[in-house]
This record gives sequence, C-alpha cells and structure tokens, in this order.
Amino acid sequence: MLKNVLSRLVRETVRVQRHVSAVPSIQTLTGCRVSVRSFAEVKDEVQPPFDSSLLEVLVCPLSKKPLRYDANTNELINEELGIAYPIVDGIPNMIPQEARLLQKDTQTPSTPSE
Amino acid sequence: MAASLRLLVRRLARLSHRSITSAAANVSWRSGCCLCPSSSRCLSDAAEDRSTHFGFETVSEAEKAKRVYKVFENVAQKYDIMNDAMSLGVHRLWKDMLLHAMHPQPGARLLDVAGGTGDISFRFLDYVYYQQERQKRRATGSSQSLSWQDISDKYPDEDRPQESRAVVCDINKEMLKVGKQRAESMGIISGVSWVVGDAEELPFDDDQFDIYTIAFGIRNVTHINQALQEAFRVLKPGGRFMCLEFSKVTNPILASLYDAYSFQVIPVLGEVIAGDWKSYQYLVESIRKFPDQEEFKGMIEDAGFCCVQYFNFTGGVVALHSGFKL
Repeated sequence: MLKNVLSRLVRETVRVQRHVSAVPSIQTLTGCRVSVRSFAEVKDEVQPPFDSSLLEVLVCPLSKKPLRYDANTNELINEELGIAYPIVDGIPNMIPQEARLLQKDTQTPSTPSE
Repeated sequence: MAASLRLLVRRLARLSHRSITSAAANVSWRSGCCLCPSSSRCLSDAAEDRSTHFGFETVSEAEKAKRVYKVFENVAQKYDIMNDAMSLGVHRLWKDMLLHAMHPQPGARLLDVAGGTGDISFRFLDYVYYQQERQKRRATGSSQSLSWQDISDKYPDEDRPQESRAVVCDINKEMLKVGKQRAESMGIISGVSWVVGDAEELPFDDDQFDIYTIAFGIRNVTHINQALQEAFRVLKPGGRFMCLEFSKVTNPILASLYDAYSFQVIPVLGEVIAGDWKSYQYLVESIRKFPDQEEFKGMIEDAGFCCVQYFNFTGGVVALHSGFKL
C-alpha cells in the first residue's frame, strides 16, 4: 500500500511538472486536427493514421530499399524481397524477424546479423 | 535477383568486416569467445555459438538480445519513475546537458536510437521551438523601422518549411508505446515519429539525419561496433553522433560510494517501485561491463567518426561522447 502511495505521489508530481513544461509545446500544434483524432479514435478497427512523412526516411533494414505503404493490410511492403512489415498502433515494426512473407516461393529473408 | 545477390554481397562484406573489427577490438568484454573469422562459420547461425556478457553473466549473443528485450519489456511502464528514483532526478540534468551540447537549430533532423520513452526527442523539440521563438523575436526586433508590410513579410510561413523532426527508434515496442502515450498526454503530435527498429540494422537510408543520439542505450546493444557503423551510415556528412552513457568514475572515493549505491540501493529500488530486482541488477552490472571513456572513444573513431571527444558528468558517472561524420 505504501508502494502505491509513493508511486502515485511521484507520478503526480512528475505529471504536474511535465504539464508546466509542456505549455509552450501545445502552442506548436496545427489546429484541431489533433483533438478530433483523439476523440474519434476507436481502439481496434480504426488504427491511428500512419504518418506518411515517415515513408520518406524509412527503408527496408535488409535491402535499404524504399517501401510501399499498403493501407488495406496496414503494412509496409518491400516488393523485391517479398516481405511486409506490420504497423501496430501507428508504429511501424521494422525488425526483420517480425516481417511477414508475402509469397511462399520467394527467398526467406536471411536472419539478420545480430 | 540482383537485389538478393547484392544483399548477399553486402551481408558478406559486413560479416567479414565485423570479424576483422571484432578481432581487432578489445576482447575484454567478450569472455570465452570462440571467434573464428572463417567465412563459413560466420555465414551459419554463429550467434548461438559466440558468447557475450549479460551483466556479469556469460550468455550467447542471441540470448542476450532476447533477455535485454525482456528486461525493458518488464520495466517499460515504470521506466521514467525508476529513472527519477535511482538518479534522484539527476538524469534530467544529464539529458539537458546533452541538448545544450547538441545545440540544435530549427530544421534539424534527429534520430534518437534506443529512444524508448522519448526523453531526448521531447527535449529536442522544446529546444528547437525555443530557438525558433528567439529567431522570430530577433527578426521582428531588428525590423522596427520597416513598414507594416515589410514586417509581415518577414514572418515565417504558417507551415514552417524548416520543420524539425525527431524520429525515435527503439527495438522494444513497449517502451515506444509508453513514449507515444507520453507524447499524446503532453500534446506533442507533430514533429516526432516512432519506429520499431534494431540499432544494428537501422531501417533508414544513408545520409538522412543531422544528429544521431543514443542515450543510455548503447550498452544494451549486442554488437556495439555495428551500431556505430550504422550510426555513421545514416548521418549526413557533417552530422553529429552523440552518445550519453554510464561510464567509469575516476575518483576512487566517489567510485566506492557509487559502487555501494549501485549494488545495494538500486536493485532494492527496482524491487520496491517496479517489482523487478533482476532487471535492475542487470542494469548496474551492464554499466560495469561497458568500456571506459577512452576505449569507447577508440571504438567511435574506428567507426569512422572524426573529432571524437568526451565530457564527464558527475565525476564520470555519465560520459557524453561526441563525434562528427566528415
């Protein structure tokens, strides 16, 4: 019980402090687009929209080639290697082991040098 | 076809380069290694054969990655609170000092690897926003004698063509989720992106970022040299590599106090606050296993960075290493 009280105390103070320091950053927001999304967001069906500006920087970690965003399956597709990287909660998962093979007959992505 | 061949060639080149650098690099932090630079062995699943350290334990490399993942998966929710408790809030000062040394300008692109809960990225965005405000004020201040039309023309555009961006990359989904929630609660939506990625195999193209930071993350990477090489690859020419990491304390009195604190107090705090003794035991052990300031500086130079220097904070408890890609 003491642990709960302690952690809650720390958390509240941290939150207050964060809120105070966050005031300038709120002013940088571009309009009400943000608030609409947070109210309308439904957990499982409507995924938070994938930030397509990320596509400019993201490439396949194996081949370093650009990826194609597939809105239907919500994945990032590398055509050449035939693999698809999933996007979970708006966060693309670029770990090669978590990628899905698109076709059975394409070469399996070799295990990354880890 | 060509792509897969190229991939294989690239992989071979990387593996042979790695076997050379790992042979040349300090073997001190690889206990009982059965390194055999023959290409056949490297191509096979040698990750299970080669061993490395996990805290004071010796484990296989594949095992280390999995265990590190589990550690951070367990502590993700309480990570920020634990940081405050363990360092008595001083970690905030260390990160602030990193930002001051970085001194990012508006329009800079940051890659925050092992960025987890986003501490560095949020500070980066705040700093850059503050810099922008200063610039605006300076611009309007110097145009006091101009006409109203001229002054309004000088104001930057609404959508800010020089938009600074921070990309947070972490191998652990849970840490990123916590970070994303924090961003949403702070009201930061634009300007920061979240990616799950491996520091040893970054999902970014060459010459993309102005600044690469890795704060308190590089000691958890299985192949530090590979992470450094990836850092070199994704930075633009002129880009800066900055690494904040726990390091060796030089003063002997402070060192013994620090050791006592690390091994007696921190795991207990971990148990009380996060309910996880072992993860925090791993944390303090991994700090001891990490190379010291000079050694790490050598590793950064080996990766190709120039003008490598380090700054000690809190008597060497934390060191900030910085290098440039020129």
